[in-house]
Amino acid sequence: MSTFELNTTISNLRSLRESDLRAYDAVYLGNIYCRIFEDNFLERLADLRTGIAQVKEQGLRAYVTSYAAPRNDSLAKVQKALETAVEAGADAIEVHNLGVLRMVHEQFPNMPVHVGGFANVYTDAGAAVLKEYGARRFTPNYEIGLDEVKAITDHAGIPAEILVHGKMPLGVSDYCFLLEYEKQWPEKCPVICQKQLFLKQGDWAMRSVGKGVLSGRDVCMLEHLPALFAAGRNVFRIEAAYESPLYRHEIGMIYRAALERAAAGDGAVDESTWKTIHQHTHVGLCNGFYFGRTGSDYVGSREESLAAQ
Amino acid sequence: MIELLAPAGNLEMVRAVVENGANAVYVGARGWSRRRDAYELADEQLHEAVGIAHRGGAKIRVAINTNMQSGEIPALLEKMEKYVAWGFDGAIMTDVGAIAQVHRRFPNLVIHASIGANILNNEDVKFYRSIGVTQVVADTKLTLNELASRKVSLDVGIEILIHANKCYTYLGKCWMSPYARLERTADDFGKDLFRGSPNRGGLDYRTCLEKWELFDDQVLLEPEIALKNDAFFYLDDIPKLIRLGVHCLKIQGREYPVPLVAQIVRFYRELIDACSADPAGRPIDLAPWRSRLEAIQAERDAKRANMTLVLLNEARQPVLPRA
Repeated sequence: MSTFELNTTISNLRSLRESDLRAYDAVYLGNIYCRIFEDNFLERLADLRTGIAQVKEQGLRAYVTSYAAPRNDSLAKVQKALETAVEAGADAIEVHNLGVLRMVHEQFPNMPVHVGGFANVYTDAGAAVLKEYGARRFTPNYEIGLDEVKAITDHAGIPAEILVHGKMPLGVSDYCFLLEYEKQWPEKCPVICQKQLFLKQGDWAMRSVGKGVLSGRDVCMLEHLPALFAAGRNVFRIEAAYESPLYRHEIGMIYRAALERAAAGDGAVDESTWKTIHQHTHVGLCNGFYFGRTGSDYVGSREESLAAQ
Repeated sequence: MIELLAPAGNLEMVRAVVENGANAVYVGARGWSRRRDAYELADEQLHEAVGIAHRGGAKIRVAINTNMQSGEIPALLEKMEKYVAWGFDGAIMTDVGAIAQVHRRFPNLVIHASIGANILNNEDVKFYRSIGVTQVVADTKLTLNELASRKVSLDVGIEILIHANKCYTYLGKCWMSPYARLERTADDFGKDLFRGSPNRGGLDYRTCLEKWELFDDQVLLEPEIALKNDAFFYLDDIPKLIRLGVHCLKIQGREYPVPLVAQIVRFYRELIDACSADPAGRPIDLAPWRSRLEAIQAERDAKRANMTLVLLNEARQPVLPRA
């Protein structure tokens, strides 16, 4: 039995079917940014049932996520997605919005809830409130450092899920600016946001997904896994909702192996994996806000070799 | 009668907004609100602000609406002991844990959920009501229909920003700025100012307002993308909001010069009074108000554009290692 969980994110059934998931223990199903993301699990509930079944058939846990910023007109569909998740045997529901948390707590109190990064858990007092509302796990807001995460887990008594690789969410919008430009481009919605679109100026770069903005650099905690274990972290995410199945698989396998070694006390990074890591990044690596620095900074022994491409 | 709520980034502005007809004023506790510390007040100034507001017949709220660190909440509660004793009429807050703790300690204190809480739907409102919030600042992206639904179906005071910005992202759900630059620096009282994080320290570098190039991997698709960011002054919707029965119309702007903020407050004071003057509720002609507002808007836009350039330049400065 693994002492840790490695999970990832998948937006639709096609991507699930194309993905080799043997590196993972669990999958979050659904796209949190946009209702019209191509065949979003959260809108195609028959696909959601199928997806939950297929994930569980592979021996993984199936979690269903929910929208980062749902307005009133989304709540009816959110309700149906929650009902589907419960009926189809999902292992947990992830909430990024506290109204949705309330809905789950009131209607499905036995369903484990994972509080997502957009729910803005910054403090132990906040985590304690959400625990009373059924939260069994939380992803801290991405702005807080690892020391702050530890302060929360020590006092609130619920475990933290940590993004260890992938592009960190930086913001969510109600407005997809890509729609203003698509008439000039050959690809249209819902294909356009799945391209590798970057907003760049000088050395600043962010990944655009239309209704959301992600970091341009991939968060990479490969050198810091022993520290994460030492601090008591044991739930790890590879953020891949807008990445290829190959990214999901290859990055997953690297982290699976590295986490198993680190859990056994061997924190050395397999040097041969850096080539694959670099192949799967466009503008370099960062550590987000984990070390209390600017989010695009990287801290590690490979700093000098990680100049933006 | 609808409440006109005005900002104050310093004591002079507290006086000016009260003199120009604000029913209520909000000030930020230095280091603890969603604005740069230069536009916040030290404790002794907060104390003085209460006197100025109350003598002028206005209520006063203290903004402590950042997402602080876990270890800072005890210090926050100590500050709140003073602020409540001094007579603050309410607190504007964001962090769920801080709200719950403040409400438990001060059950009679009115807690207003800040725009930073990003309360978007009716279920959200119910959640925040359950932890002690009774007034909610409406997100600027909400429509009149959503506000009407909130008013009709929920027992909550609704505050509408009538002068502010609609950013591309949702306020409270955006950390593009600290991704570009975050400077962890403590003030004289040991408070981490989180320069660069609007959610944690108030200073936002507005990196979203950079002129971006859009690439598809390495291929340039568009040489200039502007992420939508609309400054707004409500005019046509003011009569509708008054009829809707919202509790409060809120003016944002602690960072602007005092004369400009005074002008904005005077404008809306006179407009609200004019809209409310006819007992039969007949609509007023907004044309003369429109041209007056255009002049105010032009000055405000120029100030904001200058500040944005300053912030973007500041965002490109290296962060020195902490001692």
